[in-house]
Amino acid sequence: MAAVLRFLIAVLLFSSIATASLSQEEEEFSEELLLKPLADRKVLAHFHFESKAPPTRTYGHHHRLFPKALYQLVQKFRIREMELSFTQGRWNYERWGGFDPISSSNAKPPGVELWAVFDVPHDLVDASWKNLTHTLSGLFCASINFLESSTAYSAPDWGFQPFSGSLRYGSLPREAVCTENLTPWLKLLPCRDKAGLATLMDRPSIYRGFYHSQRLRLSSTEFGSTEVESGIALDQTLTVVLQPTTSHRASMTYSSDSVLQPSWSLSSIFGRKVSGRCVLANSSNVYVQVERGLMSELKILHAEDEGSGADNLTFEKTWNNPGFELSIAPNRVIKEVNILHDETSIVLYEYLIDNYSNSEPFDLGFTWKFPVVWSSPQAPLHASRFLMGSGNERGAIAISLKATEPSDGLWFADTIENSCMLRFNVFQVVPWYVRVYFHTLQVFVDGKPQSVTDFIERMRISPSEDKVSPGVMEMALKLPCCVKSVTLTLEFDKGFLHIDEYPPDANQGFDIPSAVISFPDFHASMHFLKDDSLNKSPLLSKFQERSPVLCYTEVLLVPLTTPDFSMPYNVITITCTVFALYFGSLLNVLRRRVGEEERFLKSKGNFTFPGVS
Amino acid sequence: MAEFSESPKDRPSEISELPDESQNSVSDFDPCTMRKTKPGLKRLFLTLTVLFSFFLGSPFLLKSIEIYRSPLPFRDIDSLSDSVGSSPLLFPCHFQAIFVGFDNFDAYDLGISIKHEMKKLTKHPVCGTCSDSNYTLSVTVDSGSGCARNYNAESTFMWRCGAIGEFDLGGGGDDDGVDEFLGSVLGSCEGFRKVYSVVVVNRGGEVRAVVGKYRHAWIVGGVLEEGMNAVVARVAETFVKVFVNGGKEEGSIHGEFMPVGADGRIVLSFNLLNADPTDWIYGWDFQRIDEILLAPVIKALGPVANISVESQVLYHTPKSSFSYWDEKWDSYIFSTKDLPFFVNSNEWHLDTSIAAGGRSKILQFVVYIPSAKECPLLLQLPNGEISVTNAFISPMWGGVAVWNPPGCLRDSESKHPARHTISPQDLQEVFEIFMGQLRQLFGLKSDSLYVGASGTTNLLASERGFTEWELDVLSRQHTCFNLVSCATTLGSLSRLVQSLPRMIIMDEIGKQVKFSLEAAKLTRSNASLGIYDASAVSSRQARSLAEDAFFHPSIMSVSYYSFEHCFAVYSPFFLPVSMHVLLAAFREWRRYKQETAKYLAWKEKAKVAAS
Repeated sequence: MAAVLRFLIAVLLFSSIATASLSQEEEEFSEELLLKPLADRKVLAHFHFESKAPPTRTYGHHHRLFPKALYQLVQKFRIREMELSFTQGRWNYERWGGFDPISSSNAKPPGVELWAVFDVPHDLVDASWKNLTHTLSGLFCASINFLESSTAYSAPDWGFQPFSGSLRYGSLPREAVCTENLTPWLKLLPCRDKAGLATLMDRPSIYRGFYHSQRLRLSSTEFGSTEVESGIALDQTLTVVLQPTTSHRASMTYSSDSVLQPSWSLSSIFGRKVSGRCVLANSSNVYVQVERGLMSELKILHAEDEGSGADNLTFEKTWNNPGFELSIAPNRVIKEVNILHDETSIVLYEYLIDNYSNSEPFDLGFTWKFPVVWSSPQAPLHASRFLMGSGNERGAIAISLKATEPSDGLWFADTIENSCMLRFNVFQVVPWYVRVYFHTLQVFVDGKPQSVTDFIERMRISPSEDKVSPGVMEMALKLPCCVKSVTLTLEFDKGFLHIDEYPPDANQGFDIPSAVISFPDFHASMHFLKDDSLNKSPLLSKFQERSPVLCYTEVLLVPLTTPDFSMPYNVITITCTVFALYFGSLLNVLRRRVGEEERFLKSKGNFTFPGVS
Repeated sequence: MAEFSESPKDRPSEISELPDESQNSVSDFDPCTMRKTKPGLKRLFLTLTVLFSFFLGSPFLLKSIEIYRSPLPFRDIDSLSDSVGSSPLLFPCHFQAIFVGFDNFDAYDLGISIKHEMKKLTKHPVCGTCSDSNYTLSVTVDSGSGCARNYNAESTFMWRCGAIGEFDLGGGGDDDGVDEFLGSVLGSCEGFRKVYSVVVVNRGGEVRAVVGKYRHAWIVGGVLEEGMNAVVARVAETFVKVFVNGGKEEGSIHGEFMPVGADGRIVLSFNLLNADPTDWIYGWDFQRIDEILLAPVIKALGPVANISVESQVLYHTPKSSFSYWDEKWDSYIFSTKDLPFFVNSNEWHLDTSIAAGGRSKILQFVVYIPSAKECPLLLQLPNGEISVTNAFISPMWGGVAVWNPPGCLRDSESKHPARHTISPQDLQEVFEIFMGQLRQLFGLKSDSLYVGASGTTNLLASERGFTEWELDVLSRQHTCFNLVSCATTLGSLSRLVQSLPRMIIMDEIGKQVKFSLEAAKLTRSNASLGIYDASAVSSRQARSLAEDAFFHPSIMSVSYYSFEHCFAVYSPFFLPVSMHVLLAAFREWRRYKQETAKYLAWKEKAKVAAS
């Protein structure tokens, strides 16, 4: 028995060493694309590129695939984790979903968002951050260097990410995103947009979309702060929401007054086709994801058609069903495994790009055959934020959270008793010129004012300091599940800026960055059957990671009093004129000769003053 | 208040004129031209006081709006520029000539004639070379049994007599062996000073001149057949043209061909470009190259520049011009006239490095692997021949080497080309080419022959890429260049600062200038002692500090606090006020003069009347 055990241990050890040495000592790159029809007749395209470099200690610092610029960035600033996103448009949580891995990790606030965790002593973190912003600004052709000023970034403690002390967070809501940011981002890919899936990125079609977010995430274990050394991983994603052009067929109306969704193909939404993979990629796949809501609708449709639900199992495996049809047969159909929903689950159709070439390009078509209406999974609360009050003096920020329809019952599963509690964190950064009075925090539950302490579990506030640091608010709230809506309000005064601090278009107003609402008890992850081939796909393994559900609120636009910018000179001029007048008249009075003037007057008309003797 | 107190006094006197006038009824008193009282001085005094207090106050105002300027040592800067400009920096050098088998010649006479020849060759001393005033030359005639030396042969560089007899010099053409032997003989007595030696051995046979890896050369053969003057000329030429000038014609470095960045750093960026990875993908083992080939070179060049190395592999990087198929060579030919269009800056993302500072120099070295469509790719020289190295350099940018995959065979027709690695032998060849390019970028020759006026000399190559005497030449020339550049930069800074009186100068700039001057001073003292490496290091420091001071970001603020700005702020007050003050003073002065004239006129009249 003992011998068998020893043998087993030896085999296990050996195999683990073998796999470790095999899998770690190689740079890897993979490219993937996920396509998903959205409920509001749009299409989501999510590009995912992953590069991995083995640890420097064993591999050295010369790389074959990993971009030199980012490797040097990690080494120079000792970055443990970093995420930079450029976004245009706002993710529509209600229609495009708020409870899936894509929305919680790829829906980003408008403009630029940057956060980074440094592996340096705490007193050097700020200096590293400042240098990093300048470097990134040069690297990505954007004004990220505005995040250098201490009024623009903050150090969240626990409300945003669980790295205390060495995390810095900053965002620029007004940064315009365009091709000049995409080109350097593409330069980091070994094939750039010359080959592989990135050839689909036709600039006009991408920027025509409703939502566009390019993201870059670095994580490294280079500096020995973690146990396992896995080197540097670079994730680059581009998420776009596009509107397929409606063809004449789509105008056909059906009996139920619903309009057929527009059919689309890769060439119709991007204007290009994929002519083969990037030869340097380990895997190059395209997935078409069908949401759970759509799948259950299709099932009903199918049952109506067939009159019986007998062949439920085979139904999900098919790619040609009463609802839609895919123009190419998928290489594989992957079904999500879900304990709660054994009825319907997410289905992914996988296509391997290896089999396509220049002569035979890959152009997937998705044709709707029957109008289907479905809804996407929602986060437990739908958040929106707005301003209250008027005038240039004071106002209030309100964050309103409404419970979504618990349609899929997902988040009530483990809470049958009435002790059911919903936890969520709110992280909010407010610039210093919006002077928030934190004592005015009010909580309205279902429209009625309630005591703050009843709902807030934990709160950390660092008040803003004029021209030095922004105000940061981190709150952990706990609500009973039966609550329909919660509103948090905070009053503020508008500050005055120095004349130098106004941006060039001061009359437009000032942006308050998005607040982040996170649900630590809810994890947006998919589960697939354990299969070796699935582990090879970084996109699917990303989907399987347990990431907390996260959503961003709107950006607020606060109008501040705008001065007349020629004012300083006007003030100088008018003050000086007054002074000069005073001075001049004083001097004139001093040298005035009253008697002589009188005499002069008299001599002019000597008869006018007969009384003078 | 003042006017009220003085009016009662003034008025009676002036009013009293009227009764006087009526009483006397003197017809010749004209009130318009005469007065009887002395004009008062109070108002004149008052206005002049105000005027003068304005004049006195203006220095205080100017002082209060003065801009902080760190005091710069202008005089030291000027003296540095003057001394660098007037006399080129020259180093002391030590030469040694050893004659073996010249029993009939006198060491002293040989010394005189070699010196004479050397003086002819260094008519105009160039910066970074040796001056004829501070070099020493020792001549030894080794006759096997004993040695004869000229008078200034010092004990520090003694030649062990008869040492040559133990070795068969240049017998089997084994230059490296001879070099090592001479290195061991001469190196042992070299000590602290760097001595350049030429060993002349008189034996029959063909004359052969070789310069070794260290600091010596040897001339072997029937040298006396050409006459003694030829030998002397050859020795002098080896000293001056090879050891001092580095075997090239132009002496000093021109600013635009300086391969070291202003901060004394070079980044060598090596790039492997796969023009089309769908044909073949090649990688390299750069880690090994870095450790084996590059590390010794970087260490050797340490005094001249601080060098760092980085590498990357890029894909989908076609060149931007086309080549044509040539049947004769059975390959694709790219001619020299198209070379400017070889580097494709749109697709070759060679990138500046994050690791490098703003003023570092980046030298790009590119290995270009052509695609299957243009393989093999050869570079054609203007004379129609094919380049041996298949590489070219672009001054100040770097070098490109074309490497054709063996056989130019595609890996079948599969869609997934296999990954290859360039074989170590091929990679070594490519890096030898790069080493030659690096030497060229540093201004040295890349071939191993020096053709002088008195014959051809072989130059032995070092495995470190640069021989010791070449490193000496580089150190000297870079010291000179850095010192000149430091003096020019500081001179421009001082001129700029003096021409813009309203420019803020931070203390930091003052400090940098001070340190730069100190480093320059240290350079000069090291140079005068003949310590080449230390003077190269300190001159680099001086240059980089001077550049730091000149490009300090705070200097940019000059445009935001200009004189116009100052004028615009203060003129609305001072212009109207000074007008009032000046006018008041002027009027009072004029009035006082008029009134005095009136008074004097009356007095005259009164005098006439009285008499």
